[in-house]
Amino acid sequence: MIKNGFFFFVGLLVAFVIGWGGIALGSHKQLGALAPYFDDGEGSSFPTRPQGVAARGQLVYADLGCASCHTQQVRRPDFGSDKDRGWGERQSVARDYIHQGRPQLGSLRVGPDLTNLAGRKPSAPDAEDLLKLLYTGSALHPSYRFLFDDRKIVGQRSESALRLLGSLAPAPGHEVVPTERAQTLVAYLLSLNTSYEFPEARPVAPAVAAKEGAHK
Amino acid sequence: MSSPSNHDPRLDQAAASDESLLAAHEKVLGKQPDEKAKYKLLPLNLLFLFSGLIFFAGTYLNRYSGLFDSHVFNENALPTPAGAATAVKVDPLVLGKKQYEAICINCHQANGLGLAGTFPPLAGSEWVTGSEERLIRLVVYGMTGPVKVKGVEYSAAAMPTIGKVKDSAYNLSDEKVAAVLTYIRHEWGNAGAGISTEQVAAIRAKEGDRKPYVQDELLKLP
Amino acid sequence: MSSPSNNAEVTAVDTAGRWPLLLLLASGLSWLVISGVLALVASIQLHSPTFLTDCAWFTHGRVSAMAETSFVYGWAANAGLGLGLWILGRLGGSPLRALNWSVVGALFWNAGLTLGLIGIATGDATSFSLLQLPRYVQPLMVAAYAAIGVSGILAWNGRRTDGTHAAQWYAVAALFLFPWLLIAAQSMLLWSPVRGVLQAVTAGWYVQGVFTLWLAPLALAAAYYVVPKTTGRVYPSYEFAPLAFWTLIFVGAFTGGRHLIGGPVPAWIPTLANAACSLLLFHYLVVVLNLRSVFSAAGVAARFISVGLIAYFVSGSLDFITSFRGVALVTQFTYFAQAQQQLAVYGGISLLLFGAIYFAVPRLTGRAWASGAFVQGHMVLVLLGVALLVGSLGLAGWIQGHALNDAKVPFSAIAASTRPWLLAVTAAHGILLLANLLLLVNFARSVYSVCCSCSQAGELAFRQPSTMEAPTS
Repeated sequence: MIKNGFFFFVGLLVAFVIGWGGIALGSHKQLGALAPYFDDGEGSSFPTRPQGVAARGQLVYADLGCASCHTQQVRRPDFGSDKDRGWGERQSVARDYIHQGRPQLGSLRVGPDLTNLAGRKPSAPDAEDLLKLLYTGSALHPSYRFLFDDRKIVGQRSESALRLLGSLAPAPGHEVVPTERAQTLVAYLLSLNTSYEFPEARPVAPAVAAKEGAHK
Repeated sequence: MSSPSNHDPRLDQAAASDESLLAAHEKVLGKQPDEKAKYKLLPLNLLFLFSGLIFFAGTYLNRYSGLFDSHVFNENALPTPAGAATAVKVDPLVLGKKQYEAICINCHQANGLGLAGTFPPLAGSEWVTGSEERLIRLVVYGMTGPVKVKGVEYSAAAMPTIGKVKDSAYNLSDEKVAAVLTYIRHEWGNAGAGISTEQVAAIRAKEGDRKPYVQDELLKLP
Repeated sequence: MSSPSNNAEVTAVDTAGRWPLLLLLASGLSWLVISGVLALVASIQLHSPTFLTDCAWFTHGRVSAMAETSFVYGWAANAGLGLGLWILGRLGGSPLRALNWSVVGALFWNAGLTLGLIGIATGDATSFSLLQLPRYVQPLMVAAYAAIGVSGILAWNGRRTDGTHAAQWYAVAALFLFPWLLIAAQSMLLWSPVRGVLQAVTAGWYVQGVFTLWLAPLALAAAYYVVPKTTGRVYPSYEFAPLAFWTLIFVGAFTGGRHLIGGPVPAWIPTLANAACSLLLFHYLVVVLNLRSVFSAAGVAARFISVGLIAYFVSGSLDFITSFRGVALVTQFTYFAQAQQQLAVYGGISLLLFGAIYFAVPRLTGRAWASGAFVQGHMVLVLLGVALLVGSLGLAGWIQGHALNDAKVPFSAIAASTRPWLLAVTAAHGILLLANLLLLVNFARSVYSVCCSCSQAGELAFRQPSTMEAPTS
């Protein structure tokens, strides 16, 4: 097969197409047409489409590379500590992401998972917390000053200016105002809420399934 | 081995020419089968190993593939049967509270006391905690005319039709009706037993489509 | 020119391909240093998160994307392609044709990469691992790649003898398959993106494809060629080499889903990846069996390839082990996964490429390396750096994984317990940067000595290689 140049190339191509077809196209066939789930109890469909500002915020999240330290995928309650850390009551499933232009699943957890940031109980952060973290950073989190304007107060103090105290406070007569990018990023983070249910996310009778699966 | 005598790090000497390298390796691949059946141990071992790996991979795939179902995310679970979208068990009290807050609260109020003289109370009401047969009918089909609750006469009850029946104002499913009934029989110090979806469904099947009840019809029931 | 090019070991292939191939190698080594600087910055940010991040160009996400991109598309691609073309030319038996295409392709490839890295710095990254280059340079990369690769395909088709060698299979496979891979990934992720998690599945397939259909074949081509050249011996168990080759090509890309264990994809995707990982063990085993004579061989190339081979095998075995769900529970989402990646691309791929570079450059320039001390310095530092990098990342990841699984351990405690190891990672990146600077300087001096045709003291001569004997059976 290798001696003959033509069949060698055909073999290579076939190998490539099998891999591509098996994984990329195979999963596309299964999940490409996944629809939102109508929850009768709630009387509406989930997941909901992100609103305009939040959708733009996802682009900021992507271009800053937030996904290099934060994941957005909750594992099931008996697999890891995701539930115990309050990241989500159930595992994330494919349907959660169907409205996202570019899902940011991430692969490293230097920081916490953000899938359900706004739905965390009891202590979901508010916009003020997030903006302050982004501006000041911490021992665990970078600061992103470029997302803020430190500017002279002209006339009235801006409503969205951060309330900073102590050494972080801006010079007198100045204020720190989040830019539009910071605002959309925070709006996106506060739209991350998966506290709704999907039937496939709470599978039934795992023990029975194991047996039947093996005999099939 | 024709090893180079000096090992100056600046230059690795070649020990074979390209042509002979090609020819020698080609000879190995082009070799005829061992006619005297002197199979070397290593090739056989490798073949066994390869088969073993294929066997392992196949078994593993079979065991943990979740039957290649697109809805199986836990490799130990069964595929969710088609139409079993209600596999999620929702707490009826939570569901019932939601329904109550969406519909009933307008008249009967959050505290379940209603409005004196206009809307009868649910808290401590004998209609709520008493006969299940009456309560289910009252809520599914609604009620008109005078009604007496906790000894107080309400001249013109206008309980709307809640269940999934003809001319219903809300078309709530049996599950939701059961949930909201369970909720009101449990809240505000009431202590009635829960009502199941099946009970509601049975009564709806028995009565079919009909107009709202009046007090006397209900009182005839057990 | 005083170079001993009349020697039989420096062939017409070498002299004809000298400048185009040296251009590819030079670009590769330059990108290696640049990516080293970026990786150093990114590693500092892991233990000192506010380092440089107030400047948008240097947020951790962007810097690590740039480091990874310049490493793979700058260093590994340029060096691997240069070596691949050289091997195809040499084993093909005649000087490479269409090398002017390769030069143009290399220039555009590197220009596109530069533009793309600036794009990542300014926020245009695609946010897919290993496919971070912005949309606007992606078509350019495909075209440039095709231009570079055409020479290798011509050399394969026009080879003098019918017989082929494993080094050729791997080189041709890498040259031929990567454009398909890149185009398929671009169209499914960038031009007409698939929905939701399918992007993650496709991206995982692509990342694995970059490794198993492109980088690993290029590095293996280099190793499969250089090892018998230095040992003078025919490969043992060579009859299994074709099977090992096809196992890698057929099964390799299926292992991509192992990073999605427990994730929002149907269970069969990671399960299939795990099954594929076990099949791939056969490939790793045969490669080691084939190349094992390198362990007893002398010389710089042989030593790099020995360590690279061990790293390649260990990384394959670790892929298999960590693709079990019980192990992935600890290693997933941690530095351990990064350690595995570094073990594969730095330990496996890069060390094999280094070994081949040390063998190839004297033949391309027609003279020995400029400095023996630099060669040995590079070798010691690189081996030390890679061991420290992989070891401390792995330990940090193991600690991190266990801590993450205990919900009572806060992130501040995890950061504190991994910090010493992350400092060691920074040290490792520093060592590697220094090492690769040595290599770049040594390379520049070696090439410069050809340009100015100045003679060196104690010139080393190429020895006439002997003829390899086929084993008698």
